[in-house]
Amino acid sequence: MTRQEIEKEIKNIFQREFEVENPGMDDNLREAYGFDSIDAIELLLEIEKLLGFELTQEEKKQAMDIRTINQICDYVEKIIRIKATSAGEK
Amino acid sequence: MERRVVITAASAITPIGHGKDQIINSLLQGISGIKPLREDALISRFIHSKVYGTVDYPINYDFKRQYRKTMAPCAYYACQVAKEVLEESGLTSEFITSGKLGVAFGSIHGSPITQRDIYRTFFGATDNKDYKTIGAVDYLKSMVHTTAVNITKMFGITGRVISSGTACTTSSQSIGYGYESVKFGMQEAMLCGGADEYDTITVAVFDNLLACSTAFNSDPQRTPRPFDKLRDGLVVAEGAGAVMLEEYEFARKRGANILAEVIGFACNNNGGDLILPNLNGITNTLKLGLENAKINSAEVDLVSAHATATKMGDIIEAQAISNVFGDHPYVVGLKGYMGHTMAACGSIETILSLYMMQEGFIAPTLNLEEIDERCAMIKHVQKIIQHPVKTAAIQNFAFGGVNTILLIKKIS
Repeated sequence: MTRQEIEKEIKNIFQREFEVENPGMDDNLREAYGFDSIDAIELLLEIEKLLGFELTQEEKKQAMDIRTINQICDYVEKIIRIKATSAGEK
Repeated sequence: MERRVVITAASAITPIGHGKDQIINSLLQGISGIKPLREDALISRFIHSKVYGTVDYPINYDFKRQYRKTMAPCAYYACQVAKEVLEESGLTSEFITSGKLGVAFGSIHGSPITQRDIYRTFFGATDNKDYKTIGAVDYLKSMVHTTAVNITKMFGITGRVISSGTACTTSSQSIGYGYESVKFGMQEAMLCGGADEYDTITVAVFDNLLACSTAFNSDPQRTPRPFDKLRDGLVVAEGAGAVMLEEYEFARKRGANILAEVIGFACNNNGGDLILPNLNGITNTLKLGLENAKINSAEVDLVSAHATATKMGDIIEAQAISNVFGDHPYVVGLKGYMGHTMAACGSIETILSLYMMQEGFIAPTLNLEEIDERCAMIKHVQKIIQHPVKTAAIQNFAFGGVNTILLIKKIS
């Protein structure tokens, strides 16, 4: 999945699940949209659906400091990279 | 320090209407809110009672997602009546968020619909992935104080929170403890009430205790029948009620529309059986209420009886009313119109008593056609009476042996 595709999917999730239209890539989600810890948990479930595999507890905890759409995309890219590396090693 | 406490706004969602105009119309027209029990694909087919006090009209909610995400149906009801009461009160947003306003609101056990979904997932799960469908917010939707804190969140209320969960006395306690909070200077105002959602589990509970009406399944509007010879049990119902209580001087100085004064409240326990109605316990509650209000029984014009239409409950309540009030006040059993709205009944029945006080009429007990001779010692209402109501007593009793009485008075 390219960075552009990830951005598109994340924005779709925000529109569909959180009723947030066209969020700025560097908007502070909490300050701008009231995005809270409950939303973060819901977002992780959506990311799992997007990726097609479960995130570990450790991976989920790493997401708790995320504040912007750009950071979410960074996070998803990183998870995909780790998964690919891990699959390659096997 | 004892301060006077007044009601400055009220709203209810009931099986007989939403808001004052619809509700008064139903009372005047003798319209029942009892409908056939809905099929729930789970337990409804095992329940003998096939009737339910149903809110079957649309309600136009406009809650944003950030609030909706933690709200079950009972919280929708609660937040809607809270919103209407806040608007009607005219209190400023500055006051609402100042810490001077608290919330006393409850439901009998959170959201049974949410709890049912959790259990369905939990016991139906076949692998780890199934558990993930239990939402991150399910606890927030189903906890016992979900109505109160969804209200505080939506409106930014920062005062005290009281969330009674005492079954059928939940919202009479909300108003009572809200009244005490203002009376004794702990808050300037309290938003008080209760809400419960459509729930067949509650019907099953009362059905198993043989306390539900079953004889009118094919003719739902003829039940429940408080104090009537043919009564055969209660009818479970849904709904919500909310009132704004304020300190009298504060309300007067800001030019609030004062609807009535709360002049007394009492709550006690039977100190024994958790289910059976108790004549001594209830009689004492009514006496304590009058003492608290500093009035004598002759000053009460109207008694809103708990009157669920169970065989023994109505008889014991009639005896208690007779013991304390004699045959002076008119007695109405409002559940005849809408069934037993559970956590909401105390607040809804207070609001309906307030409406009758404002409009100068007393509605009859719906379905009271032939008075049970064992309940005949009090002054029943069988047709609409144009009669000024100066002081009303609202009585509610709950499983667990909890009894309450609220006394409200017209402001002259």
